[in-house]
Amino acid sequence: MFRSRCALLRAMALALAVTAAACATPPPADDPEALAEWRETNDPFEPANRAMFEIHEVADRFVLQPVAEAYRDLLPQPVRNGIRNALGNLRAPVILANDLLQGNVSRARITLGRFMVNSTLGLGGILDVSREWGVPGHSEDFGQTLAVWGFGEGFYMFVPLLGPSSLRDLLGQAGDAAINPLTWLGQGAAVDAAGWVRLGLTVVDTREALLEPIDQVRATSLDPYATLRSAYRQRRAFEIENRESFGGRVAPAGTTGFGQGVTQPEAPPRRPGP
Amino acid sequence: MTRSAPVAPHMTAMHRRLLLSSPLLAAGLLAPPRAAEAAIDPARATAFIEAAGNELVAAINDPNLDLPARRERVAAILRRTVDIEGTGRFILGRYARQATPAELAEYNRLFDDIIVRNLSARFGEYRGVRFSLGRSQQRTEEDVLVNTIIERPNQPAFSLDWRVSEINGQPKVVDVIAEGTSLRLTTRSEYAAVIQRGGGRVAALLEAMRNQVAQLAAREGRG
Repeated sequence: MFRSRCALLRAMALALAVTAAACATPPPADDPEALAEWRETNDPFEPANRAMFEIHEVADRFVLQPVAEAYRDLLPQPVRNGIRNALGNLRAPVILANDLLQGNVSRARITLGRFMVNSTLGLGGILDVSREWGVPGHSEDFGQTLAVWGFGEGFYMFVPLLGPSSLRDLLGQAGDAAINPLTWLGQGAAVDAAGWVRLGLTVVDTREALLEPIDQVRATSLDPYATLRSAYRQRRAFEIENRESFGGRVAPAGTTGFGQGVTQPEAPPRRPGP
Repeated sequence: MTRSAPVAPHMTAMHRRLLLSSPLLAAGLLAPPRAAEAAIDPARATAFIEAAGNELVAAINDPNLDLPARRERVAAILRRTVDIEGTGRFILGRYARQATPAELAEYNRLFDDIIVRNLSARFGEYRGVRFSLGRSQQRTEEDVLVNTIIERPNQPAFSLDWRVSEINGQPKVVDVIAEGTSLRLTTRSEYAAVIQRGGGRVAALLEAMRNQVAQLAAREGRG
């Protein structure tokens, strides 16, 4: 039994898969370069995905972005850092499971050690004590595990509110929910409420970290949809190969959705004007 | 496509996953070879990035310059250190052959304008920036990735990789990579999408680029 918010994500994915019946036309077989590009783009449901992207953009401009900006304005950076650290710490069991599923024992040891230190000395994960000690965190999710196991990405998907994804990464999110002990934790109004708070904070925290990158894409891209698609894919390849740079923070969301590095930014206090 | 021809059979034999999960690799193999390129020594590439970076940082942090003057200086440094023409050609990719000579000339002009305006607007805001060299590594036979750490006051440090190639005997920047995301690959994807959605015409891209230049100019006027 998954709890309702997980079921919501799943239902959205299903709805997308159904509406994605509108396909893009593949190029003719006698144009090998166009075919190569088509395969590389791997976005057979592009018209449907673009429609989803438009819906997402409206929701983002009217709700997500203003909420993320208010969150940044209202809460001082140390508080936001604490929230990000705590969310990352809550994801530790999922990260640990994926480290192990990928057969990466040394990274699993790091995740476990960090979880133990940060949950206690770090006051329930609010302080990233391990990072101060020179053991920075990393993120891992079941989509990456599937990739390590040899699954292809399937095809590209844009899911409103979730952002860029793929068949593999969406399945990965379902897998992460199944792995996550918090999914299976008890019943009752209080547990449910805590779950919703965690989901809400994850969304707001992720969007806050993406304020500058998304502004940048909107300001400079001739086709933001295509830019995000490419950036997401490059970013995922980078994450799958565990090439994150030094001193990272644990990403709040498993699949960050936007192909940007949410592993590192504790985002700047104020955005420079345009 | 002389370089990709012998590689192709190997590619098909390769696991599909590898190709899908590494667009970087795939795009690299699809890239047309550039005659002017030669192997570059990592130490030389690193020294080049250090010199160019110091020059950029000095221009950005010069207290005697106002924002427009800073942008001007940054733009001049970029034009000297970045292989703008080659990068533009890489980004246009296979569509370069569809373009008429006039279209190609206009593309080169617009691309130069856009990349310099975008980068100098972005760097121009990095007041108080400091940069240091990270590890440097040889990536392919033709170019070197030089890692740098960018620090700004009150902001988290981030890492940027500069891909340096030797163009006509001179080291030049051919790509910037932030956390695994390559600027030239992202832009290539973006431009290809604009052309495809414009009915496969390069003219559609040129029109979008002209609009963007107008917008960037207007924003600089305000800022």
